This record gives sequence, C-alpha cells and structure tokens, in this order.
Amino acid sequence: MTADRVREVTAAQHRKTRPARPPRAGVRLARLYAASRRIPAAVAAIAACAIGLRIALAGHWDSYGALQLPLVFEAGAAAAITVTTASPHGDPERVAGRWLPFLRLAAALALTAAAASALAAAGTGAHLAGGTLDALRNVAGMTGIGLLCAAALGGGLAWAGPTGYLVLGAYGLYTQWHGPALTTPWIWPARPPHDLGAAICAGLVFTLGIAAITVRGARDPAGE
Amino acid sequence: MNTTNAPAVSRQLPATRRPGRTAARLLRLELRHNAMLWMLPVAIALFWLTTYRKAMAMPPLWNLRATSMQSGTLLAFACPVAGAAAWTGSRETRRHTTEMVTVAARPRWARLLAAWAAATCWAMAGYLACLAVLYGVTAQQASWGGPLWWPAAVLAASLPAFSAAGFAAGTLLPSRFTAPLATVAAFFVVALSTQLIAGSQSYWQVSPLVTGPWDTGPDAGVATFYPYLPDLPIAQVMFLAGLTIALLAALALPRGSGGRGLRAAAAAVTTAGLLAAGTAVALAGTGKLDAHGMITIPALHDAASDRPVRFTPACSHTAIPVCLNPAYASYLPATVTAVAPALSEIAGLPGAPVRISQAAATYQQQAGNAVSVRLDGPPISGRPPVYHLLLPDQLLGPTMTTSELAAEVRSSAGPAIVASVIADRPGASQAQHAVTAGLIIAAGLPLQGLPPGTTPAADSRPGVRSQPPPEVAPGSPAYAAARRFAALAAPARHAWLMRHLTALRAGRITLRQLP
Repeated sequence: MTADRVREVTAAQHRKTRPARPPRAGVRLARLYAASRRIPAAVAAIAACAIGLRIALAGHWDSYGALQLPLVFEAGAAAAITVTTASPHGDPERVAGRWLPFLRLAAALALTAAAASALAAAGTGAHLAGGTLDALRNVAGMTGIGLLCAAALGGGLAWAGPTGYLVLGAYGLYTQWHGPALTTPWIWPARPPHDLGAAICAGLVFTLGIAAITVRGARDPAGE
Repeated sequence: MNTTNAPAVSRQLPATRRPGRTAARLLRLELRHNAMLWMLPVAIALFWLTTYRKAMAMPPLWNLRATSMQSGTLLAFACPVAGAAAWTGSRETRRHTTEMVTVAARPRWARLLAAWAAATCWAMAGYLACLAVLYGVTAQQASWGGPLWWPAAVLAASLPAFSAAGFAAGTLLPSRFTAPLATVAAFFVVALSTQLIAGSQSYWQVSPLVTGPWDTGPDAGVATFYPYLPDLPIAQVMFLAGLTIALLAALALPRGSGGRGLRAAAAAVTTAGLLAAGTAVALAGTGKLDAHGMITIPALHDAASDRPVRFTPACSHTAIPVCLNPAYASYLPATVTAVAPALSEIAGLPGAPVRISQAAATYQQQAGNAVSVRLDGPPISGRPPVYHLLLPDQLLGPTMTTSELAAEVRSSAGPAIVASVIADRPGASQAQHAVTAGLIIAAGLPLQGLPPGTTPAADSRPGVRSQPPPEVAPGSPAYAAARRFAALAAPARHAWLMRHLTALRAGRITLRQLP
C-alpha cells in the first residue's frame, strides 16, 4: 500500500466515522461566535442608541437639530455593528473555521436589521426626521462603510468609517441651510428619504461591505 | 537556600541624570504607535471637505474665514481625536498587558500621560498643518487685516480637551465599544449642545463651536470696523484648559496610579481644573451681544477693545467717490458699478452726498437667538453730506459672490441713495415719492426694492433679507407722475431738480406741479 493509498483510506474512514452534525452543535457554534465577537454587547449598544434616540426625540429641537439627531444615533449603531467584526483569534480561526463566512454574513445582516428596526421603533409616535426609510438607508449605508473599513483597516479601527461619515453627513445637512448645498447621492444623509440615487448609493456600499466582510473578514492583527 | 528562594538583591540603579530624556523617549515610542496617526487622514479629509472648501468659497475676509474655521475644524478633528484617544486609553486592557506594564519602572500615571500626549501631539500637528494652509492661502488673498489668533487658540485648547476626555473614557471604561461611543458622544456634545443656547447670555456659549451670536451663521460684518473681541474665546480657553487638567489629573486618582502624595496632588489639581472650568461657564453666562456683533463678558472685557480699528479706506476715483473698508476692497469695482446709475442722477444736486462711505453695522439682540442688524443713525449726514452704506455682506444671511453682492447693492443701495437726497422717507409727500420713483426708473434700477428713506436691515433667519413692497404702486397717480418725470431728458430733470429740490424736500411741491 502506497502512502497515497493510505491517505485515501484514512480519509474515507474519517468520512464514515464522522458523526452527523447535531442541530445543537450549530447553535453552539453560533453562540460561541457571538460571544467571541461581543455581539451581545453590540446588541446592548444598539438598544442604548435606540433608547437614547427615543429620549432625545422627547426634547425640543430646532429643525436643524431634529435632522441631525437621528444621524448621530444611526452612526452609533453602525459603529457598534462594525466593532463586532474584530476577531480575537486571528489566523487559527481563519484556517479552521469553514463556517466563518456564513457566520460573518449572518451576524452583519442580523445586527443591521436589528439596528434599523430598533431605531425605527424608537421613532414611532415621535417626529423622526426622515422617517423609517431614512433610518434604514442611513444605517445600512454607514454599516457598509464600517464593514469596508473593517476589511481594509481591521475590525478594531473600523468605527472610524461610520463616525467620519457622521461628520460628513452632518455637514451635508448643514449645507442645506448655508449653501452651496451638497447634492451628491454619495452623501445620502443629506438627501430626502425617497431619493432613489441616495438609496442606491447606500445600498451599493452596504452590499460591498457585506461581501467584503463575508469573503475576507476583518483584517485583524491577532494581538487586537 | 537555593537560587529560587534567595532574596533578590536590590541594587540601586544610578539615577537618570536627565529625567526629561526618559519622558522624551517614552513619548517617542508612543508617537510611533499611536492610533491618532492613522486617524489623521480622516481628520484632514474632513477638514478639507467641510472647512477648507467652504472657507475658500467665502470672500477673503479674515473674520469670516477664521470664525468659519473654528467651527468647521472643531467638528472635523474632535471626533477622530476623541476616538483615537479612547482607543489608546483602552490599549492595556485590550491587549491584556495591564499586569505586564504594572511592574514597569514608571508610575502608571506617567505612562498614561505619555500615551495621551502622543495622541494629542499628532492631532495638534495635523491641526496646525491645516491652519497653516488655510491662513497661508487667506493671507495671499486678503486685501487688508491679519490672521485672527483667538479662534486658532480656542481650537488649540479644544484638541487636548477632547483627547483627554476620550482618553479618560478609554482608560476608565476599557472596551472595544468605548472608542466608537466616545467618538459619537464627542460629536453629540459638540454639535448638539448648541441647541440649548438661547440669547447671548447663555452658559452654553462656552462650547468651543460658538464664535458669536448663535444661529446667525457666518457674519462678514464683525471684526472689520472694530477689533475681534477676545472675551468669549478667553472663557472658552479657560473652560477647555480646566477640563483638560481635571481629566488628566483624575487619571492619577485610582489606587495603583502612583504614590499617596501623587494621588493627593492629583485630587487637588482635579479640583482646581473643575473650578476653572466652572468659573469659565459662569463667565460665559454673563456675556451679552455688543453693538458691534460680538459677545462681551464684563469681567473679561477690555474697554480698549471698543475703539474702532484705524484704517485708510479704499476709495474709487469717481465724481462721487465710493469708499469701503480696505477689508472689502475687492468689492469696490462691483460696488462702484452698482451705484453708478443712481449717482449719475443725483450728482451736483444740492444736498447730494459728496461721498459714499461704508459704515459699521449695529447689532441688537432680539427674542431668542434673533439678532437685528442695521445702520446706526441716518443714512446721510454731515456737512458736506456723506451717505453711509451697509454692504449686503454686513447683514446676516448667506455669504454672497461678488456678482450677487453687486446685484443686491444695485437694487437696494441705489434707490436708497436717491431717496435720501429727495428726503423721501415714510410720511413724505406724494411728489417726493413720485420724483424718487422717477429717478429710479430713469436710472434703470428696479422700482421694487427697499422703501424710500429706509436702510437695509435683516432679521436673523439665514437667507432672509428684507424686501418690502414698493411705495409707489403701478396705477396710482404717483406712479403716473413718476413715469412722466422719468421720461424727461436727463438735463431737463436735473435742471428742474436744481430749481425745486429744496421745496420738494420741504414737502411744498404737489404731484400736479411735477413736469
């Protein structure tokens, strides 16, 4: 028996003896992944953003402040999502975890949906500038920026993307008062909620971010 | 006794001859690894997009660009600085090196201070580079004046404060979420705290974002005829410095940060810093809007700052010279062209101005954050008479291009100059209204404009300028007389005015007596 033959037989036996993955193992894997990425803390941060928005909406704001207000909390929620991309395990996990891309995809999508839902719910019954569509577009777009930053810079510093974009978005809103107004759809927070170009830009950035984080994951040094 | 349980020989190391070298080496190490270095491109890109481009679109006036820079640069740098400092502050916990560095020779507080200093140094380096570019370009473009250093000083005090706040958050609450939340919190505090400002006596004016009466937007009218008042910037710098000192000293308060003496001293310094910050807030609450458009704080005010700035006006070489503050010299050709039609109609008449001279605006606080801006006194005064002009840029509202300003001067100042010569003010006779309207029509100026006898004024709403309805409505007898008067040949109009202007101004001419 040659060495190749030995390897084939061993592999065949291994396939036969490997037990079918019980459903609980998948749940455990997801739970471990969530714990390693601090996803519960991120959910808590998103909830805090939604509660903060709700409390803030109860206050009196002028029209400029009312427009900026949701953007601040949307950026906070997006930054919290992007922070979860940082892996504490580094290369060993990349090599061994074949479910990792699916876990990254599921986590990013679930957290984004949770953030958009929580912020929209926070605005229910109050005057949320831009409404639910605006919140969904802004959260998705800023999360996409954060995920792209995570793939490029690393999960630890990925928050720089959404928070930097927060300043840009707020400036875009400011230019509606003190022109010349910035009308590019790439600064989507400054566009009306039904603006198709802005929605396409935000959606494109989100799609690219999700794709990058799913395929590549965050560029993280193991020490972080 | 073996080698493992033998007492360690404590050998006194020779004291460092120059302790500053150790601190400098520590700072150098921190500078090489600080996260703020990676945040600088973000901050500079935000500065370019939100501040530099906006400033370059403004007229090259030092006051306008410096105050605009203070607000814009603060927003561009505060978030990255706070985030990077929080990231740096949480480093030991994040990398699980707390125990490893605890046994280091330097006290924990000294190590933390070096890390904070590195983040602040990078932020300051980036800010100073941005400031140099903006002020350098403005120096080449501005026709008069010099850099305003107080806005720059407020920014220079702001960055260490935001860095200290972020660093304290990262050190005391170390988590991977601390840095992003500190960044968003910094933005929230800077951008939205100003919502609480109501009038010029608000404590919230201590926010470094505030450069003058809030909600009025960039105002080209301040700090050209009178000096830039340092009252509010002094209070802001005091607040920021106190806050920075208090936050940094508070880092030495937890057990293990240093010896008992160090912690006692830190407690005293923290208290002093908080007292300084609180005093600054209280001082900001005593501020009020002065007549020249700036916030004065009585306890910090220097009466010498109320003296007007001395300057040699930039004047045109026309029959009736138009003289502007040299800061606005770039507007002179456009202004001369804009008022030329009106001046050609009144030149040589008795009581006509011998000079059109730009005047300082007078500011008055209204309800809430509203501010009124107007000319102080009659538009025409003195012997020989001088017409006092307010350029549209001196009023509140969006900043204008030169062509927009010329159009505004043509439609508002032109009719107002004619009306001032005819003494056409509210309550004047129908004949005065008609002659004024006739001269305006003859000069090719729009009849719709400021009502005769009034001067431009603006409320504080951005983009809103006064546009009252015309006094002489089409279809009225005064309008018909105006059309008739305008149809006369220019020498005939002039000759009639030379003979009858005194009687007309006194209200002794009726509509029927008009040619």
